[in-house]
Amino acid sequence: MKLFTYDAVSSLPAALAARRGTFFAGGTTLVDLMKLEVLTPERLVDIGSLPLTKIEATPARLRIEALARMADVAASHDVLRNYPVVAQALLRSASPQIRNMATIGGNLMQRTRCSYFRSVAEPCNKRVPGSGCGAFEGDNRSHALFGGGPACVATHASDLAVALVALDATLTLTSAKGSRDVPLAEFYLLPGSSPSTENVLAPGELITAVNATGGPRAARSLYVKVRDRASFEFALVSVAAALALEGGMVKDVRLAAGGVGTKPWRLAAAESALRGQPATLAAFEGAAKRSLEGAMPLSGNGFKTSLLERTVVKTLARLGGVS
Amino acid sequence: MIVRLEVNGERRLVDLPPLTRLLDALRGPLGLTGTKEGCGEGECGSCTVLLDGDPVNACLVATAQCEGRSVTTVEGLGALDGRARETGGLSLLQAAFVTEGGAQCGICTPGMLIAAEALLRETVDGANRKPTDTEIREAVAGNICRCTGYQRIVDSIAQAAALRRRVSPADWVRENLPFAKAEGTRGLL
Amino acid sequence: MSNVGTSVPRTDGPSKVVGTAKYVDDLSMPGMLHGATLRSPVARGILKRIVKDPAFDWTGITFVDATDVPVNVVALIQDDQPVLASHEIRHRYEPLALIACDDALRLARAARHVTFEIEPLPAIFDPRASFERREIVAPPDNVFGRYRITKGDAEAALASCEVVVSGTYSVHHQEQLYIEPQGVIAWFDERGAHVHGSIQCPYYVQKGVKKTFVLTESDVDVVQTVTGGGFGGKEEYPTVISLHALLLAKKSRRPVKMIYDRQEDIEATTKRHPAEIGIVTGCDRDGTLRAISIHVLMDGGAYVTLTPVVLSRGILHAAGAYRWEHVLAEAVAVATNTPPNGAFRGFGAPQTIWAVERHLDKVARQLGMDPLVLKSNNVLRVGDTTATSQTLKESVGIGECIEKARTASDWDRKRALGPVVQGRKARGIGACVFMHGAGFTGSGERRLKGRVALDLLLGGRVRIRTASTDIGQGTETVFSQIAADALGLPMSQVEFLQPSTARVPDSGPTVASRTVMVVGSIVEAAARELKERIDAEQAATGLDRRRAMDALVFRAMGTAEHVYDTPRDLEWDDATYRGDAYPVYGWGCDIAEVEVDLDTFETKVLGFWAAADVGKAIHPTHCKGQIEGGTLQAIGWALHEQIVWKDGAILNGRMTNYIVPTSLDAPPFTTLLVEAPYSRGPGGGAKGIGELPMDGGAPAIAAAIEHATGISMDNLPCLPEDLFERARKGRAA
Repeated sequence: MKLFTYDAVSSLPAALAARRGTFFAGGTTLVDLMKLEVLTPERLVDIGSLPLTKIEATPARLRIEALARMADVAASHDVLRNYPVVAQALLRSASPQIRNMATIGGNLMQRTRCSYFRSVAEPCNKRVPGSGCGAFEGDNRSHALFGGGPACVATHASDLAVALVALDATLTLTSAKGSRDVPLAEFYLLPGSSPSTENVLAPGELITAVNATGGPRAARSLYVKVRDRASFEFALVSVAAALALEGGMVKDVRLAAGGVGTKPWRLAAAESALRGQPATLAAFEGAAKRSLEGAMPLSGNGFKTSLLERTVVKTLARLGGVS
Repeated sequence: MIVRLEVNGERRLVDLPPLTRLLDALRGPLGLTGTKEGCGEGECGSCTVLLDGDPVNACLVATAQCEGRSVTTVEGLGALDGRARETGGLSLLQAAFVTEGGAQCGICTPGMLIAAEALLRETVDGANRKPTDTEIREAVAGNICRCTGYQRIVDSIAQAAALRRRVSPADWVRENLPFAKAEGTRGLL
Repeated sequence: MSNVGTSVPRTDGPSKVVGTAKYVDDLSMPGMLHGATLRSPVARGILKRIVKDPAFDWTGITFVDATDVPVNVVALIQDDQPVLASHEIRHRYEPLALIACDDALRLARAARHVTFEIEPLPAIFDPRASFERREIVAPPDNVFGRYRITKGDAEAALASCEVVVSGTYSVHHQEQLYIEPQGVIAWFDERGAHVHGSIQCPYYVQKGVKKTFVLTESDVDVVQTVTGGGFGGKEEYPTVISLHALLLAKKSRRPVKMIYDRQEDIEATTKRHPAEIGIVTGCDRDGTLRAISIHVLMDGGAYVTLTPVVLSRGILHAAGAYRWEHVLAEAVAVATNTPPNGAFRGFGAPQTIWAVERHLDKVARQLGMDPLVLKSNNVLRVGDTTATSQTLKESVGIGECIEKARTASDWDRKRALGPVVQGRKARGIGACVFMHGAGFTGSGERRLKGRVALDLLLGGRVRIRTASTDIGQGTETVFSQIAADALGLPMSQVEFLQPSTARVPDSGPTVASRTVMVVGSIVEAAARELKERIDAEQAATGLDRRRAMDALVFRAMGTAEHVYDTPRDLEWDDATYRGDAYPVYGWGCDIAEVEVDLDTFETKVLGFWAAADVGKAIHPTHCKGQIEGGTLQAIGWALHEQIVWKDGAILNGRMTNYIVPTSLDAPPFTTLLVEAPYSRGPGGGAKGIGELPMDGGAPAIAAAIEHATGISMDNLPCLPEDLFERARKGRAA
């Protein structure tokens, strides 16, 4: 590991006063990537003991403070009852040990699992801007169908973020100047030509909470994750869906996909195709086809297009109670 | 950086760079080599320890994060029964891994025991019930074993759950593991 | 007194569960340095120059290259592999230089200040291209081994068979993924060279050290520390890391510890050999098997290492557990520019058994028969002859294995139901029938002459001295059970000495499912001899047992050393590959039930029934643990594990992307022990079972997937996209 300075702060104002530096809380991403020398921050600000761990999940409103642990949110009965997609996404993430350390804010800020990013011997524009992308024409089985390009095709790794996009969640971002709320879908940036910039956080700004509105749609939500083994593995494809039904018709729907996008991928075309349609398998299949709009398969991940389509159908069918 | 922490019930102090992995602090200055390193990136679970009672990967925890917190390693498990000397240093859970075949090569065993201990505290101690087969498998889903196929591990944990708080660890270990010698039998010759 | 047959507490268990068992990384020596290996960045080339950055401060850093190696050869079967490449580089990750330093951080930094000037050469990764000699990467002809087995006249018989079926099958690399990485501590002192480490076969390492450093036996002590799994991966590879550590130790005059990190371990060490197997069979319309013709092409990797032996075991198991009047089996292994492939539980047999079992499932489909009935009708019984014309004289428990697995799994009902589709999930059930030769092939044991010593110690105790290592499978416990019973002593009076070439006789390597069956029987013979001495002493002196034992110790009569009494009636011809290939076989029937998600094509294993004929289960719990653990490795090979290669480099060399089954992937196992005793096995008939359970899992899973979905996989792995692709092609066709 390279040399750096370390400060532990115990209050939000102290954290925000730090201005320069890399925040860390649970440390599960940072300790790992610093050991690999993928990340070499000069200054670390440990915010792990800030009092930002509250979880509120009433039928009307979800608010999770950024330092709540994944394990605690996943274990919350209110979250499971009113926002099942969130609890499911968390329980299908990582391992029990990691969920006990990792925080909600850290989960949303976690770095991609792209093996080129994680290996200092390989080129990666995200890690070393301008060094190239090893995956675009390399081994890209786990890489993105959506939102990528020759500069970067790394997928966003968070299951939780996919679930939250399906709930139209917002993030509260706080800096020394004050707070602002940003929709999660707009928080993440596409790689474009500068994959090293992943989000809209300003220097010194911190995620302090995740917010979402409740209701029938949020309460009828589901996370389906396809992966290479039954635990402790990132998604090949995942789908988060939230469905409001009325008289057998789809009143409203949100669909987001993981494992396929350079950021959590909202399936907007599929949503609009489904709105106002009867909740039938045929309608779900029709909508699922639209979820592939804009997909750009690479040499090794073509299987994900059809897998995504089938997983969307599966998720909607289970939510809609049809088979 | 000086970090004060409680390890297996004892107050300890280490002076290390803040991002030194808890794993290295334990195996190095704290002299507790029972916690193993299998992958160094949180994927195998061999380095699992309890941090304030919760299982975590010691290879992904910075020592600085442990200031004022309590850490339990495999060396601390036998002492939890409070009668460690009478049982040769073995808790019922540890003894069950010996009698039921939960330990083969033994390298994943310390981490596996810690994950299982957390489960037994939650279910048997906390809720006065035995964990289900699925709960056991989920509790150790972050611990990779390449030897056993997991069946004997699940059986070992289930047996420990059945015995916990129902039998005297000292009596049970004396009866079922009459020759238990907890000291390592091998080293440098 | 009977310890054999009961699941006594494992003798090394307590130290493992309390954390006092010392693995190599838990040990250190005063003044010890840390060592690291610098490896080739290319798959093939000529090393022109090694450049040490002059701007870097090299004080306190020991540097070793090929010029420092006395005899630059890793002694195994052939002397083709250098300890450090000096000129020709044959694979990515090939060791080129070594460095050591007392500070691990500086060591890592120093490693980045060494560069290699290499003239690249064209590399070969496809064994077919190697076979066709499109490039000569291993002179003279790229061939590492060739075998041919004939029985009857397969070609003529096939021409006249009623039903002829052909197919091609292939299998991929597999990483052993023991959880404790490779590691050693090595040093020189006035007594010579010392290596302590995570080692399956201490005498293999000793042989390598003797050759490279030009030393004699008494100059080299190789000691096995508590070992965190091996599965074959610590059979031949530890010789390499031991030589590296010793080279650094010699130059630095300090003890050197080398522990691979996980990525280095996955990238640089051996893997299971990939293979492609073509099969043509002929049978009658009623399913009576007549003739089989098999062609095996195995990928050896860059150097010979153990490839010829793996190929041999592969071809000896290629006809499966069945009666064939006519057999033609031809096998060839070739070089490619990947790291050498090597020993991994099963040692060639899982590869060929995959092929023959998938093939027989195909035959059953063509005949419209229940595959288990087809297999059961043709399975070898006592009196039948194998592919090598060996007549089976005893201990063939396969009939009982099939019956037990069939009943316990409710095979007949489930198979007849056909695939059960509920919603978007389909269930199916599949079976594999197999055998695995126990002990060394052919005349191997006769050549080896394994030796074991038992010592009486004062106070009525007995100590077992053997080079057979406990790497998790329970050797210490099982040998103690055998010795205790043969001596009529309680287990508590028996000790197992930490294997060290200076202190234990060479009982042979811990490989080939030979430890319990072969070495265990030497332990038993030595214990019986001691017992006779004690009995005689008592009869002559009237002393009580304890005093009689002490008296023998005082008279220097307390040690019994025994050599393996190789069965004399075994006949084997290495030239024709005909005869008694193995003294006896372990037998198995595996049945898997799976559920395949018809949307995502994920496979979940719902249940697994493994019936194994082990001869005699000396320790039933350990026996079951071996069977379940081996089976899960096979399931992982079938459903999860895959090495991703690019230009000879491994792209997924970490546990985060080379994934093995977790507790949630593992099925509940029903393990059924069958005991058809082997007359020469210890403890009343034990046979070797270390490798057997690796053979059945993959074919059983693939058969169950086929039953559930109609998708017939003839290559591995069965990843979701592979199944989907196969289903899509099936629909299109």
